[in-house]
Amino acid sequence: MSEFDAIVVGAGPAGSSSAIKLASSGLSVLLVERADPPGSKNVSGGILWGNELAKVIPDWEKNAPLERFVVSKGTGLLTDDSLISIDFRSKKLENNKTGYSVLRAKFDQFLANKAKASGATLVTGVTVDKVAFKDRKVIGVEQEGDVISSDVVILAEGANPRVAIDSGLREPIGDRDVAIGIKEVIRLPETTINERFNLRGSQGYAGEYVLGFLKDGVKAGGFLYTNKETISIGAVINAADLRANNSTYSYNIMEQFVTHPFIAPYLEGGKVEEYSAHLVCEGGIKSVPRLSGDGYMIAGDSASLGFSNGLVIQGMNYAITSGIAAAEAAIEAKTKGNFSAASLHSYDEKLALNYVLEDMKNFKGIEGVTWSSLMHKAVPRIAEKVFFDMFYETGEPKRHLSEILLESIAGSGMSKSQLILEAYRAARRM
Amino acid sequence: MIILMKQVPDAEEIFIDPVKFTLNRSQARGIINPSDENALEAALKIKDSEGGEITVISMGPPQAENAILECMGRGADRGILITDRVFAAADTYATSLTIAAAVKKVGDFDIIFAGESTTDSGTGHVGPGVAEFLGIDQVTYTVSSRIEAGMLIAERELEDGIEVVSTKPPVLVTVLINANLPRRSRLRLKIDAIKKGVEKWDHDSLNLPPEWVGIKGSPTLVGALKIPEERKRESRPIKLDEIPVLVQDLVKKGIIRTGDEA
Ligand SMILES: Cc1cc2nc3c(=O)[nH]c(=O)nc-3n(C[C@H](O)[C@H](O)[C@H](O)COP(=O)(O)OP(=O)(O)OC[C@H]3O[C@@H](n4cnc5c(N)ncnc54)[C@H](O)[C@@H]3O)c2cc1C
Ligand SMILES: Cc1cc2nc3c(=O)[nH]c(=O)nc-3n(C[C@H](O)[C@H](O)[C@H](O)COP(=O)(O)OP(=O)(O)OC[C@H]3O[C@@H](n4cnc5c(N)ncnc54)[C@H](O)[C@@H]3O)c2cc1C
Repeated sequence: MSEFDAIVVGAGPAGSSSAIKLASSGLSVLLVERADPPGSKNVSGGILWGNELAKVIPDWEKNAPLERFVVSKGTGLLTDDSLISIDFRSKKLENNKTGYSVLRAKFDQFLANKAKASGATLVTGVTVDKVAFKDRKVIGVEQEGDVISSDVVILAEGANPRVAIDSGLREPIGDRDVAIGIKEVIRLPETTINERFNLRGSQGYAGEYVLGFLKDGVKAGGFLYTNKETISIGAVINAADLRANNSTYSYNIMEQFVTHPFIAPYLEGGKVEEYSAHLVCEGGIKSVPRLSGDGYMIAGDSASLGFSNGLVIQGMNYAITSGIAAAEAAIEAKTKGNFSAASLHSYDEKLALNYVLEDMKNFKGIEGVTWSSLMHKAVPRIAEKVFFDMFYETGEPKRHLSEILLESIAGSGMSKSQLILEAYRAARRM
Repeated sequence: MIILMKQVPDAEEIFIDPVKFTLNRSQARGIINPSDENALEAALKIKDSEGGEITVISMGPPQAENAILECMGRGADRGILITDRVFAAADTYATSLTIAAAVKKVGDFDIIFAGESTTDSGTGHVGPGVAEFLGIDQVTYTVSSRIEAGMLIAERELEDGIEVVSTKPPVLVTVLINANLPRRSRLRLKIDAIKKGVEKWDHDSLNLPPEWVGIKGSPTLVGALKIPEERKRESRPIKLDEIPVLVQDLVKKGIIRTGDEA
């Protein structure tokens, strides 16, 4: 007899959602989190997209610690001197809430406490060392030499899954699997944030930017999200680029972003309250490991079920969805009394049926565009020149747009044939 | 053995409200008072070699249960939380008296370990206060302790050196923050702790006259809390070869004295 039906490693969105589902279905669950309290080590720019949580917490929109809901979504290209942006501000976003900003310290604690209230045994401040095997089957977890046994182990340990890797359940994480995320939380009065972003009440702004001003071939995206009394601002940097350019440091990129003439005014007078760096799943089906086996499943970032492309970071929604799917598979396995690889494979099938794996496959293509030189170098420069030349009065008759465009391309640092090729690739993948 | 433990806000997470300029502890997580971790470790070392049971006693709000569970996760066997509205706003006198009553209720004890002082109020009164109310010996400022032939041998770190004390339990020992390296909690022990649970003792279970506890039993009055104003320091850049002039200046201002005067 095992001590628990299920052990969940990690109380992030994936682990806690999983534990809530398991415990509220009557399974005995141990949820282990190394941080105390949960969330105190977690980083997230923090827009929770979608309504996945409703499956385990129907009234989450009323009771979860949410900061603001997104009514205004910005996408911008930043060059040294310019910001070219499209802002989508819509009544539609006010009436259909699609995304909420959250602060992980509070949000993760809320979820973990929900798991506890549902009946899970929540242990915080302890790091699991490995999973325990018997006859090549996972039979529990190991910590400081003690084995705690369970019928199934769900690994939800985030983007640096030491337990899964050290136990040989997934390949080590490489540069192609992750980007580097950096985030600052900056405190400002609520009224100041509302004024600066033209918001009312708990309306929020979420912006993503191509950092087109970066030199040395390093590609990075920036994000800026409003919370109630803070702003989350950060950068997502291509890991391979960073490794290839020894002279570029991640904090320099962040510094250039926050001091950009069209970003700095948003932050003026604010006090940096938190600074953190974390791996971000870069997405793509290529990074997704074997998801389940005898006595175990892997969920959330640990299974690379997240996505970032230098523009948008999504992960919490996939984490929640996969965590719940793993719980459902465990519940079925419990009914069958069978926790073998064949039985737990229903987890993989659930992910294939809902949108998670489909999205991962699609991102494989999009990522090639969003991390491309076209997107990060040429487009910002071309756009800047086109707009500037269009509005700049020289006292001469206006030139034809196509003429300006051709000239801008010439000055973009990419050859015309290169551009056409990349643009063609981009169009095919979208 | 008994450990006295207070849950305190993590000093690293207290911040000054940028608008109201007050200390905001609301976002600070509760942690075991640092020197109480050393007190627990001192007891665990004795448990490792001599065996025995360790009971943790803490007086505080319901949230302090978490810190007690953490102590049990490191090896304490039993946890007691003294919690009741009427205990609120106790000064060090009433706190010591209430804790002493709880110790008596636990009954048979040999060594009581307490931290030297806390990071949130830091009076250092409570350990010695409990010893006085119990009428037992105390050994303060210890950096190590062990049992030898029924005697407690402890090293006290004093300004002018280390003093080795040998005393017969029952005794209360206060432990300094540099005494040892506290161990981490273990998953096995934390699960067991959660299963066991923490006992909650209220005013009724201690059976103390109401006028002895909480704010009523506290003779101390806090007049006001003030942040001392920072004194502006004078400074000016000097070149190396100006040092003799600077020294003369400082002597003239009476800030330093030369050896011949002394
Ligand atoms: C800068 C940045 C910005 C982001 N912005 C967004 C965004 O706006 N929207 C979005 O949807 N996603 C965003 N993400 C991604 C998102 O944070 C992740 O996809 C999401 O947190 C994944 O959830 P998870 O539960 O799988 O892992 P995590 O949230 O990482 O949780 C894993 C948990 O496991 C614990 N743990 C790890 N190892 C052990 C162990 N051995 N024993 C015990 N506990 C352990 C960790 O402490 C952690 O609490 C962002 C990420 C970063 C870095
Ligand atoms: C802003 C502020 C001002 C205060 N001013 C005064 C004042 O002027 N005079 C006054 O008498 N009181 C005052 N108090 C109350 C005082 O802090 C409490 O009485 C407190 O319980 C004990 O004092 P301490 O934290 O200094 O503990 P210390 O005496 O420094 O603690 C020594 C050891 O005793 C043990 N211990 C202490 N408290 C507990 C506990 N609650 N449960 C279990 N073990 C414990 C621990 O082992 C600890 O390491 C004040 C409190 C605050 C917040």
